[in-house]
Amino acid sequence: MAAKAHREFEPDVVIVGSGAGGGMAAYVLTRAGIKTLVLEAGRDYDPVSDSAMLKWNHEAPLRAAPTPEKDFGYYDATVNGGWSVPGEPYTSAPGSVFRWWRSRMLGGRTNHWGRHSPRFGPYDFQPFSRDGLGMDWPISYAEVAPWYDRTEKLIGVIGTNVGLENHPDSSPGVLLPSPKPRATELMIQAAANDLGIPCVPARYAVLSRAIDHPHAPREACFNASSCGRGCGIGAAFQTTTSLLPMAMGTGKLRITTNATVSRVLTDARGKARGVEYFDKDGVSHFVKARVVVLAASACDTAKILLNSKDGGLANTSGEVGKNLLDTTGTNVSGHIPALEGRPRYNEDGMDVAHLYIPFWLYKEQAAGKLDFPRGYHYEIGGRFGMPGAGLGLGGMEDGYGLSLKEDARRYYGAQLSYTVRGEMIPNKDSYCELDPVVKDKYGMPVLRFHWKWSSHEIRQIAHGIKTAKEMIHRLGGTVTSPDLPPERAISDGGFIIHELGTTRMGDRAGNSVTDSFGKSWDIENLVITDGSVFTSNAHKNPTLTILALAMRSSAHLASRMKKGEV
Amino acid sequence: MSEISRRITLAWLATASAGALALEGCAAPAPNAAPMLPAPPPTPVSLWQDLTLPRITAPGYGYDPNLNKPVIPWPLTLEPQQREVLRIAADLMLPADAHSPSGSALHLDAFLDEWVSAPYPLQQADRRLILSGLAWLDAESQQRFHVGFAQATDAQRREIFDLVAFRRKVTPQYQRPAQFFVRLRGLMLAGFYSQPEGIADIGYMGNNPTTGMYPGPTPEAMAHLNAALTKLGLKLVKI
Repeated sequence: MAAKAHREFEPDVVIVGSGAGGGMAAYVLTRAGIKTLVLEAGRDYDPVSDSAMLKWNHEAPLRAAPTPEKDFGYYDATVNGGWSVPGEPYTSAPGSVFRWWRSRMLGGRTNHWGRHSPRFGPYDFQPFSRDGLGMDWPISYAEVAPWYDRTEKLIGVIGTNVGLENHPDSSPGVLLPSPKPRATELMIQAAANDLGIPCVPARYAVLSRAIDHPHAPREACFNASSCGRGCGIGAAFQTTTSLLPMAMGTGKLRITTNATVSRVLTDARGKARGVEYFDKDGVSHFVKARVVVLAASACDTAKILLNSKDGGLANTSGEVGKNLLDTTGTNVSGHIPALEGRPRYNEDGMDVAHLYIPFWLYKEQAAGKLDFPRGYHYEIGGRFGMPGAGLGLGGMEDGYGLSLKEDARRYYGAQLSYTVRGEMIPNKDSYCELDPVVKDKYGMPVLRFHWKWSSHEIRQIAHGIKTAKEMIHRLGGTVTSPDLPPERAISDGGFIIHELGTTRMGDRAGNSVTDSFGKSWDIENLVITDGSVFTSNAHKNPTLTILALAMRSSAHLASRMKKGEV
Repeated sequence: MSEISRRITLAWLATASAGALALEGCAAPAPNAAPMLPAPPPTPVSLWQDLTLPRITAPGYGYDPNLNKPVIPWPLTLEPQQREVLRIAADLMLPADAHSPSGSALHLDAFLDEWVSAPYPLQQADRRLILSGLAWLDAESQQRFHVGFAQATDAQRREIFDLVAFRRKVTPQYQRPAQFFVRLRGLMLAGFYSQPEGIADIGYMGNNPTTGMYPGPTPEAMAHLNAALTKLGLKLVKI
């Protein structure tokens, strides 16, 4: 899809990044008739030809096992990235561990993301008002709700309105039908409900009905092939089969790939005049534009701003790179004897989880009955999965010979998993800055990460582990995952790949980098549409909210441009 | 726990927690937790030796391989005798039955060779464990029966497997070879059941595109679920 930007194409707006934030900005701006150039650091990528849908694991090296070159396995739709990117290192300060997942491909991480798409609720936009921690967003749920509706309708989200506290319903007609749950999910649900815990249809950005569009026709899910491999039929949402071709169809978009933006350049009055990028040969280029939109991902956006000026561009608040957030994570697995040797059927479904466990203790939380302030959810699992480098027998197999073959048949599909995903509160010990020594292959200083979980997160994880064990025990199961204390069971910083907050939005210039429309307080023609603008990170996976806010911010930008304000 | 096994365990845990493809059954080398039974007649000395092996320096497949035309760029490295021991071990581990062929018929020796010849850290740690283990099988056979493992009888080979194969029966001096066995078994299970014959045996029915909404569990699967829930004092939730 990407073509060399024509030399004569002079964009009004240059967008840095083609993932969720950049793709949505390109879609909204081009539809408003604005000439737009997207710069993508990675190579061109087309999931129709490049993804490995329906390939078997035995066709891949090492049965498609993860390696340092393909951290999520051979078929994962991550190009030239993962926990490391050749030539683009990052560092962690002494005593800190932070892991940063990147890809270098058109569409960025939307090509492989989990597609889990819950909405933030009213409490999530006003966290400080509720418990005195962190900071409130400059916008309420009510202001964002219509943008959620529009975004869900546009990208396609399966789900069911369930009317639970702080888990908002969508407007009628917005959500696509939920698939039937798997037997394992129905079992988890039965035990959860028995313990007073809800388990409801999950919301995922995967189509259960086709969406027709002249430039981006998308088929309904055909109930096979892992979404993480990328979706050549367009059912699982990614910008490469939706927002980018839709924007391209307007005739107003150009895309340049292999263009790694290093700096935003400003004029004598401090306005942005364009960006500098390096091509794959390391040659630097300048692109001039009326407006610069940063959507490079939370950490790369911070890196660009910090490299653009001593002390950081758009940083009179001093908040660029600060308030770095991730989601807490841990996994509790169990072996369930009642599932041993169960009848076989095709359990792929839509690949994603069909049910999940949303946070359910808001009343107890408000009453001060919990020893942790913010919520979490469980992403549940357990199925007859495609055999590969792991067979998923839960370590129950023993011995050898004919009895081992019997073990494999008996224990396959008899394990359940409860994956905790929880809210982290911003803290002063978790941030990124420029490394004083290390540089990338373009000669630009790289990011150095500082990271610390607080006791809020550790106690939340302890609660998540304890409750998951209760649910496994209620099913007569035994816990098979390692029994670690919560401070060791909690994932490393960055490991859940929900980096957010490095240019947070706020209600005034002193405490934040942008206003509620992602507009820099310092530079009126600089707008940020990726996850770096998040004021907090509710436990609800962030991509849907990135998309909704990017849509809102881009519509606001388009209207300012139309009025000649920028 | 020795340094090498600690590192291997950490590597396994890291891989398992990476999410996409957990190497199940390898994350927790269980023998430590198992109750000990009275020891059989002890072997005089522990015959296990951790081999020191040169690093594999062959290239990997890189950060952007062609996913639809996979190639394995590293050369295979096992000696013919090691491949022969692996074929014998594969047939002991996963013999042919009415449902699927034997381990050697599905070329598990070739898969193990591919695995331990790969240049990545997990596979290099496995290389040391697996190759040390193959040498131990021979040493144990030589000491007991004065022939190599490949020349031993089926009953003699089983006697050696029985030392390490059952988690509740491993005696202290066989802890280390038992770790090898757990890893070998895990790799052989993965190599076997990921192939079409193994997939048919274990009953994976997916990777099969269908139109329309996902139909959910079959009536038979629902009947099984309902019976299981009833036994647990639970009932299906109406959605």
